[in-house]
Amino acid sequence: MKMNKIIKTALSLIAVSAILPGMALSQEPAPALDPGTCFESRGTIEDGEIIGYSIRAVEEIDAPFYKRTMPNVKCSPTTGGVLWWSDPFYGTVAMGDMPVEADYTHEEAVVRPREEILMDVIGLYPCADMCHGDPEVVPVPKDRTPRVLQQMHLEKAVQPTDLKHGRGAIWCLDCHSRTNRNKLIDHRNNEIGFNQPQKLCGKCHGQIYRDWRDGIHGKRTGMWTAGGKKRWWVCTECHDPHNVQQAPVNRGFAQLDPEPAPELPKGMYNTDHEQEHGAHQAAGNGEAAAH
Amino acid sequence: MKQITFGIDFLTYALKGGSKLYAWLLFLGFFIMLWAYGNFTQITEGMIVTNLNDQVSWGLYMSNFVFLVGVAAAAVTIIFPAYVYDYKPLKDVVIIGEMLAISAVVMCILFVLSHMGRPDRLWHIIPGIGILNWPNSMLTWDVAVLNGYLALNLICGFYYMYKKYTGEPMNKKFYMTFVYISIVWAFSIHTVTGFLLNTMPTRPMWFHAVVPIKFIVTAFSAGPAFIILAFFIIRKNTALEIKDEAINMLSTIVTFCLSISLFLTLCEVVTELYPSTEHSFSLKYLIYGKHGLSGLVAWFWAALIMNIVAFALLINPKTRKNHSILPFTCVILFVGIWIEKGMAFVLPGMIPSPIGEFVEYTPSWIEIGNSLGAWAIGLTVFTILARGAIGVQLGDVKHSDAN
Amino acid sequence: MSTKDRNKSDKKTRREFLKDSGVTGAAAFAGAAALLTGSDDAEASATWAEHFQKNYRLMSDEEKKEAVARLETRYSEEYGKKVTVGIEPAIPGVLFGYALNIQKCIGCRRCVHACVKENNQSRHDENGKATEIQWIRVIRMEKGNFGFDKANMDKGYPGAKGEEYGIQVGGNAYSPVGTVLEGQHYYQPKKVPEKDAFYFPIQCHQCEKPPCVKVCPVRTTYRDPDGVVVIDYNWCIGCRMCMGACPYWARRFNWGKPNLPKADMNPDTHYMGNRPRMKGVVEKCHFCLQRSRKGRYTSCVEVCPVGARKFGNLLDPNSEVRKILDRKRVFRLKAELNTYPKFFYFVD
Repeated sequence: MKMNKIIKTALSLIAVSAILPGMALSQEPAPALDPGTCFESRGTIEDGEIIGYSIRAVEEIDAPFYKRTMPNVKCSPTTGGVLWWSDPFYGTVAMGDMPVEADYTHEEAVVRPREEILMDVIGLYPCADMCHGDPEVVPVPKDRTPRVLQQMHLEKAVQPTDLKHGRGAIWCLDCHSRTNRNKLIDHRNNEIGFNQPQKLCGKCHGQIYRDWRDGIHGKRTGMWTAGGKKRWWVCTECHDPHNVQQAPVNRGFAQLDPEPAPELPKGMYNTDHEQEHGAHQAAGNGEAAAH
Repeated sequence: MKQITFGIDFLTYALKGGSKLYAWLLFLGFFIMLWAYGNFTQITEGMIVTNLNDQVSWGLYMSNFVFLVGVAAAAVTIIFPAYVYDYKPLKDVVIIGEMLAISAVVMCILFVLSHMGRPDRLWHIIPGIGILNWPNSMLTWDVAVLNGYLALNLICGFYYMYKKYTGEPMNKKFYMTFVYISIVWAFSIHTVTGFLLNTMPTRPMWFHAVVPIKFIVTAFSAGPAFIILAFFIIRKNTALEIKDEAINMLSTIVTFCLSISLFLTLCEVVTELYPSTEHSFSLKYLIYGKHGLSGLVAWFWAALIMNIVAFALLINPKTRKNHSILPFTCVILFVGIWIEKGMAFVLPGMIPSPIGEFVEYTPSWIEIGNSLGAWAIGLTVFTILARGAIGVQLGDVKHSDAN
Repeated sequence: MSTKDRNKSDKKTRREFLKDSGVTGAAAFAGAAALLTGSDDAEASATWAEHFQKNYRLMSDEEKKEAVARLETRYSEEYGKKVTVGIEPAIPGVLFGYALNIQKCIGCRRCVHACVKENNQSRHDENGKATEIQWIRVIRMEKGNFGFDKANMDKGYPGAKGEEYGIQVGGNAYSPVGTVLEGQHYYQPKKVPEKDAFYFPIQCHQCEKPPCVKVCPVRTTYRDPDGVVVIDYNWCIGCRMCMGACPYWARRFNWGKPNLPKADMNPDTHYMGNRPRMKGVVEKCHFCLQRSRKGRYTSCVEVCPVGARKFGNLLDPNSEVRKILDRKRVFRLKAELNTYPKFFYFVD
């Protein structure tokens, strides 16, 4: 009900501020986000607003697991992240064609339908339709050869030389369809929906894909039981494909705001003692940092 | 009923005294009021009124408990020479040792009650209506041996006094059986308290085979030191004759035990600090401080100095037998061992936490009040029991039928 | 339920309990009991009956039902919502296991706070009447960062000058990197993960040979058939032996009366799990029994934004944890203590 609208608004705001800052669209000043809103996997709070990859609005739902009406999520007041789901399957859809090799072929697997959300956003703002959808405005590129992007892309996308994925070996059109910006493509030009990026990512990252299929890489929520219903979190819900390197952290994850530290135990008034050891104290550290 | 008249006569004698006695009891009464207030607060508010926390979850109460188990066990330093070696000068005062044991166990129980989060659920440990996790839990062994020890001392002490009171002959076989059992039992109480701590590999500082024996030798230094002080006071204030030999015998025992204790301290320090592994963090924190935290350092060195000074004064026969110096020696020794068992053993065992967190602990006023109060109750019990016992021993408390 | 009705029903149960369990001797503790229950009336009357309650495992089904009804009434009244107290037993053929990818953890502490939301722990109290309780502790550990420069290569003890036999201690690698006992518990950077750190979460390891269970004098904590070490909060005497014995510092004590705001209270509880605790008892992670015994992942697994946490049935060869044990490099923390944790750390 209300949620969809909020997500749409939120995402459109992000899209406007991030993707198309140069476009002269008459737009209302951004209203503050609902305080009962948080993000699911990666995101942050900027200027009091929750900027997230998949936003959730807090609302009362009938949670089947608890057989009662309760909020769908509980949010962290400090970081804006979801801390607790009453219904792990709320707002999800069947994943559809599961990879046949997976052991969990018999179980019910669901994903959060991000394609729909993204399409809504893209439908509202004319990336695919008005510009790239119309050969009169932007001609369809002849091939996948990298070329210099126009200024308006650079808030979200990066120049081919700066893409933090593949170290120069790949570029936008290796993943995004040349002809249909609403779709991803693999190396054989098979179109892939945004709901199942693993089909694209797994082409290169085979080992990780195998682990993901077996549930030992990546996130699953729902039921642990064999054959139990699970929400599979797909690659791009945790990783940013446009910056997987995340230098200097180099973990494959964008940095998050940490939740607050525990309360100091009685008798302790600061944490100075925690700093007084290890690399902080070692003679070589200062020099190592300088190297 | 002779039992009833015994009780009445015993208490009447014990509580009848000069202004000195009442001043002393009033003094203790002040701390007992602190204890009552402190425990009431602790029970109504929860243990939040202490300065204990999840990192340092055993503190002043546990330290005093461990120390007092030692004091209780130390009664054996009188009983053993008196009966096993038939040492006459101590045989006359054996009853004082037993009364001290009873008072010390009473204090142990009070400290355990203060330490417990739910003293109202104490009955859960009683077999039959509750569950006693015996033999798995070392604490259940401790409960068993301490209560057994209390019972043994009550039986030995009061059987002896009752027979003396009525003038009836003692059943030697019955009495001596219990005396011998209590001698062995005395070692068991402090051994088991040692096992309570040193069976936890997660606390490397406690995880040493020397702990039970060190507990026993420190107990047999601090306990007799207390008894010697009591003897001096008794000698000065009552008609009970305590021979110099009795005191010298005890101070000799103290000397031996203290020398072993110092030796074991050395063993511990060398074993830990020579390889200097992560497991020696507690000891390093205790001796030098660590990461800029040094709450226990002063205590450790104070205890060590007190014990070494006491040892120097004891090892020299001239100062040991000089009865104007000996009380001073006994006081610093008693305090030194008290610090060593608590601030220099129980507490650093909890620091750092098993996953490496250093947290400093200083007892709260409630904890201090409760501890002083528990001591005051113990001393009150000891004063009354010892005075009554002296009366019996002197023949002042006597049944009218007795010859 | 009106006060009058409540008192009536409580009186009944109380009498029955006294009769049934034959613990009339325990009435001596009534004074302390009355003090401990505090002033709140709803709580006081229910806790009164709880005082004569048996150890959970010794209760008949009837008694369990009564205990649950009593708790549900009390909690519902206290927290202003319908609270359920589950007593789901262990699922046959299930042994719970946990695997944590130490390589993935970014130290964001989402798990710590999700756990608090799920399991009704005591929250920070402004007046100092209760402590904040968290079952998961994330330790920040320094990454290796040695200064490999010539100046330090020959420095150490004994001093290099005039020493012909080499130094014994020192050089460049004399820095306790990667040492659990040297970690930081209260790190608070702007963003995680940091460049120079990795993170090490620790919670109850649900040992197969749990030292805490062994030392408990009243058997209030024990291992359930599904491998979870549970606590009967109503039987705990608060001696804290288990806290002394636990090598993973997993156990927490309710120093004061737990501060659990009504709005934040999770009404779906389990008797051995997340039902609100009372002061003076020990608590710890129980793999979210109220969820896991109904088939659902624990709350820390669900919240982890990097999917570092995996939970499942160790007896099912196709479960996620079993696949990790088969395929990954796995270790147990403090394995030398032979506690056999069912909480595994792994790297890809």
